Amino acid sequence: MRPRAWLRLPLPLLAAAAIAVWAVPGSAAVTAPAARQLAAPAAARQAVPPCNPAASSLRPAGPPQVTPGSYMARIRARGYLIAGVDQNTYHFGYLNPLDGKIEGFDIDMVRAVAAAIFGNPNKIVFRAISDAQRIPDVRSGAVDIVAHTMTINCARLQQVDFSSVYFDAGQRVLVPSNSRATSLADLGGRRVCATTGSTSIANIRAAPSHPVPVAEPFWTDCLVLLQQGDVAAISTDDSILAGLKAQDPWTKMVGPVFTSEPYGLAISQQHPDFVRFVNAVLQQLRTDGQWAASYARWVGTPVPAPPPARYKD
Amino acid sequence: MTAVGDPPRPAPGTQPALGQFVRARTTPAKLRLLLAGLVSLCLIWGAVAAWVVSQRASGAADVVSTSEPLALDGQQIYRALSDADATAASAFLSGGLEPIAARRRYQADIAQAASHLESATAAAGHSPAAWDLATLSAGLPVYTGEVETARADNLLGLPLGAAYLREASGLMRGKLLPAARDVSAQADARLTAASGQATGLPLALVLLVAAAIVGYVLYRAQRWLLWRTHRRLNPGLVVASVAAVVSLIWLVIALTVARADLLQAREHGSAPVAALARADIAALQARADESLTLIDASGDDSFQADYVVIQHRLGPGPGTLLTGAVTAARGSPGAGPAATAATAATAWYAAHRTVRSLDDNGRHTQAIQLVTTPGPGHSDTLFTRLDGSLTAAIAADQAVFRSNAAAGRDAFTGLEVGVIVLALIMAAGCARGLSKRLAEYR
Repeated sequence: MRPRAWLRLPLPLLAAAAIAVWAVPGSAAVTAPAARQLAAPAAARQAVPPCNPAASSLRPAGPPQVTPGSYMARIRARGYLIAGVDQNTYHFGYLNPLDGKIEGFDIDMVRAVAAAIFGNPNKIVFRAISDAQRIPDVRSGAVDIVAHTMTINCARLQQVDFSSVYFDAGQRVLVPSNSRATSLADLGGRRVCATTGSTSIANIRAAPSHPVPVAEPFWTDCLVLLQQGDVAAISTDDSILAGLKAQDPWTKMVGPVFTSEPYGLAISQQHPDFVRFVNAVLQQLRTDGQWAASYARWVGTPVPAPPPARYKD
Repeated sequence: MTAVGDPPRPAPGTQPALGQFVRARTTPAKLRLLLAGLVSLCLIWGAVAAWVVSQRASGAADVVSTSEPLALDGQQIYRALSDADATAASAFLSGGLEPIAARRRYQADIAQAASHLESATAAAGHSPAAWDLATLSAGLPVYTGEVETARADNLLGLPLGAAYLREASGLMRGKLLPAARDVSAQADARLTAASGQATGLPLALVLLVAAAIVGYVLYRAQRWLLWRTHRRLNPGLVVASVAAVVSLIWLVIALTVARADLLQAREHGSAPVAALARADIAALQARADESLTLIDASGDDSFQADYVVIQHRLGPGPGTLLTGAVTAARGSPGAGPAATAATAATAWYAAHRTVRSLDDNGRHTQAIQLVTTPGPGHSDTLFTRLDGSLTAAIAADQAVFRSNAAAGRDAFTGLEVGVIVLALIMAAGCARGLSKRLAEYR
């Protein structure tokens, strides 16, 4: 869709910048010292070994199969898959007020996983969780899988496993349509919103123009603040911003894509068999046209080629 | 002290102290002095008695016409706002088109809150509650604006609506409800102070001491005249004494009756009402938590945690709000409904546990049904019973308060004027009686 291979290189640089921001007092976000401490990414506190987020998952062993004794067999015995999802991100995971159902591109991915286990895409219990809750819930086993516009990165790979990449996003900026800002560089000292615990808020904090990061629980909360004039901009993945823009025609997306955010489904490190199984499901979606159909339905046309499946083994 | 009338000449101690002070040696001079002293004493007595009565009467009037209505307004504002918040939340919960009944209930709540806000603002004047009422007046349109934006987005099928509802609910719970709670608390404090002013003993003591002084002086004056002039009765002083006795009896009866009525109003009226209202406010807050837990489902269970905290505070159980309200309502007409509320609360908690276990096991739709639709064992029905019993108990005890407090206030009717008129009669009686004696020396 977009030539963004060059963008992967700056990731370690961004992490280094984050370390610098955290280590040098007053270097950024001087107005929010408490928030700065919170947001210093886990990456900054402990050395994260270099990795390739786009090729960090486990290779499937052929088509998806529920083998006896596997984690999938345990899920099947339980009767339903437990998925941690977003209910506030338009077109990826949101609660449709018209019918009270959760739907979106992320939701299609987990429905395919449920269909592969049960032969029925509806055998899912959705747990609506916040961004900050994603890793704790996967690690505690509160959910089997998280489908929540979640960026694969090296720090998170220390804590959870991810499926192969199922969507490529990158961070941009959303402003009111009468704003003159064209990128984060124009928003120094202004309030810019993102969700707590997202990679986006860390990137805003690390931006050289020093915008003031404002952390909210959900993306729609950021849009409320933008509409009320409490923040000057929202900065996060273009995929999420498109959903916000669709809810408010008086906004516009500006500036270049300045990060790479490959999305993966998060799974506990306890269940590598389940990771392989999910990757097998994703591989089917890529090849049988379901991925393209979901993309066309939720994101729009033209439909690009799905992100290629690359594995570490 | 001397015995009455036995010595032919007055011992120095029997003469009025005032006489000694100005060294009046002749009888006419002493009579003149006595006249002046008695008249001023009567007038002072009239002033003191009228002041005490006016203090008491204004306390009673404040209780009936200002403090109690303000306390009631504070409770009603809290009730209406809290119910509006819970109704808006559960209207969202039901998914799809918002039920028309929920819409009407929300609108009625807002209208009620606005009307009580207006009357409370008028009643509060420049009291500390005025600041909280200003916060409420400024915040209410912001809240309703956010709820309407939420509805508009919801009608368009946008998830942004839920975010506006969260924002509105945050404003309600973070700012408006605490302000309404403050208004209630300040009005309760003011009610207690006014009722203390109307029933307190120190003022009554002042009155009794003054009455004792007047009575003693009148008695000594008449005894002196009897000894000095050898007349059995002095009609002027007799009239003054009768007037004094009448005013004293009237005062004692009125103050005693008013005090009994006002204490009754407090004990079986405003005190149980305040306790019941506190329990009702907590119940409404827990109900909103129940709905918001289902809407938000954001993974952190802050609303459910708040529900559990309130459940422990509400009771029933030793030291809890409901048990406190049942105890306070004992012997009042609200006792029956208050006891019903205590059992209804336990049943509601059980229904809430069912809701939580359904929701936690992925049966969100069934959980929502228990919360939003009436039916046997449904959280909705059981909460309505709890809330209804508390409201009925509050209404019953408020009626007790109203009638008793009004009776207490009415006991003061005409008393202030009466006491002044009687004091003037006393003064006139003294003046006339003594000037007649004085005339005999010319």
